[in-house]
Amino acid sequence: MALFPLTSNFQGDFVLQLLPVDTENTMDEVAAAAAYHSVGRRVAARPGCTMRVRRQGAAEPLPHTLKVSESGLKPMECIEVVWE
Amino acid sequence: MALLGRLDWYNLARTTNWTPGYVTEDELFPPEMSGSMGIPLSGWEGYDEPYKQTYPEYVKVQREKDAGAYSVKAALERSDIYEKSDPGWQSVLKLHYGAFPRAEYSASTAEARMARFGKAPGMRNMATMGMLDEMRHAQLQLYFPHELCPKDRQFDWAHKSYDTNHWAIVAARHLFDDMMVTRGASEVALGLTFAFETGFTNMQFLGLAADAAEVGDWSFSNMISSIQTDESRHAQIGGPLVGILLANGKKQEAQRIVDMMIWRAWKLFAAVTGAAMDYFTPVADRKMSFKEFMLEWIVSQFERALLDLGLDKPWYWDQLVADLDHASHAMQMGFWFWRPIMWWNNPAGVTAEDRAWLEEKYPGWSETFGTVWDVITDNLLEGKKGLTYPETLPMLCNMCQLPIASAPGPAWKVRDFPLEYKGRSYHFCSEACQWCFEQEPERYKGHLSLIDRFLAGMIQPPTLEGALNYMSLYPGERGDDAHNYAWVEKIRAARQKAAA
Repeated sequence: MALFPLTSNFQGDFVLQLLPVDTENTMDEVAAAAAYHSVGRRVAARPGCTMRVRRQGAAEPLPHTLKVSESGLKPMECIEVVWE
Repeated sequence: MALLGRLDWYNLARTTNWTPGYVTEDELFPPEMSGSMGIPLSGWEGYDEPYKQTYPEYVKVQREKDAGAYSVKAALERSDIYEKSDPGWQSVLKLHYGAFPRAEYSASTAEARMARFGKAPGMRNMATMGMLDEMRHAQLQLYFPHELCPKDRQFDWAHKSYDTNHWAIVAARHLFDDMMVTRGASEVALGLTFAFETGFTNMQFLGLAADAAEVGDWSFSNMISSIQTDESRHAQIGGPLVGILLANGKKQEAQRIVDMMIWRAWKLFAAVTGAAMDYFTPVADRKMSFKEFMLEWIVSQFERALLDLGLDKPWYWDQLVADLDHASHAMQMGFWFWRPIMWWNNPAGVTAEDRAWLEEKYPGWSETFGTVWDVITDNLLEGKKGLTYPETLPMLCNMCQLPIASAPGPAWKVRDFPLEYKGRSYHFCSEACQWCFEQEPERYKGHLSLIDRFLAGMIQPPTLEGALNYMSLYPGERGDDAHNYAWVEKIRAARQKAAA
């Protein structure tokens, strides 16, 4: 377990934000952490939709249960959190 | 004693150059200080500045200008123009005074670099007066806000800002130190006088002067117009230099500096001038949108000036023009959402009248930035003010030091431009900011953005309070909504009326 900083780019938001997560967090937990700083603050919630994490520019999202420590993400790498 | 007529001595005086005998030419004009690019002393003597002035003429004109600016100030000192002005306009003044006066002192150093190390005698003459200009600008813009300090502590930032680690000042210093005080005379002339002063100062000092006149702030309008008359003179130092460089096969070097500094200046002005023109100035007093000013004063003027001088349009020109649709809005939104870390109270600028103006000037605004303001407005209407404050930091660009931001909503265009260099990760807001870094990576690699400092443990405690103290923003200075959320109540009343 260790603090791991990422850069969050939440779909529909206007700015990249510093996102501190833990190496043991899953991608779903990372998405929820990113949503805390965007959804309901500047981005309207989308009931019924789920959120997925993907590398910037990637077509496919990372698996729901993949841990940060297993993902190959680098510190401060920009992740996109998109609605599905 | 009879004095010679001006025409009898002027050209001889302004072309008089040194003939070093006891030292070498490179000792007299070290290449790194002169930016001489291998062009010998004789190659510089064809420099022909378009605006010619003698020192006695300069003193006479400057004295008259100062008398005008100070007399308007004195006449209006006991008026209540400031108290009666809209809080949005008061924020324009706070932002302007915090951002510029101390940079003007820095600019006098830049002019001094050209006055001493420029190899063209005409450049040295122009820059000597430019150096005095910049001192005047610093003094005027420190003296004028001084009377406002007892009325509002946030005006302390006119003098204080440059001695702090405030995020916006880190951004301003990163640009101005790069452009003005750490380069040779030729690069200063290209970057500061040609790329920066030729167009961008027009926007802040003429565009905003027009808005100030509309608002009725004659003191400010008159003062910054007076400053701009100096700028338009010494901004002409760079143009003839381009001719010398092109004649000596140095087009590529000139183009590179001009491209870098136009981009860097654009980024800073989109934040400072863009937000002030499109949101801070009351909607009824806005003369033009920031985009309209940019198209008229920068895009068309630079295109003409660059091509006339034999340079090309910067490679990123289309990108810059495309960014006009969202840059000022993204910066404004960041200012407002992170309002506790500003030294001014940020207006929201999204009443029904504002929104109609924004949609007219920036078609599509409602579908992009409007969607974000909808969420913010609903939160305030529903009493969820806590959700309108940030709980983390925005990511900052490692070149312009501004938030990495763009259009939100369905159009969602935000993206990171990452770069690995010698084992360190850098993040940029745009291809052009990354390109600037890659031009001189050894020059820029060591700088730490506020985010880098936060992650390195330099900001303690690592909380909002810790960050505010690190930036020297103390209670009484921290920003909030400029209109104390009165605009939300207007919207509430309008919605209730519509529902009834």
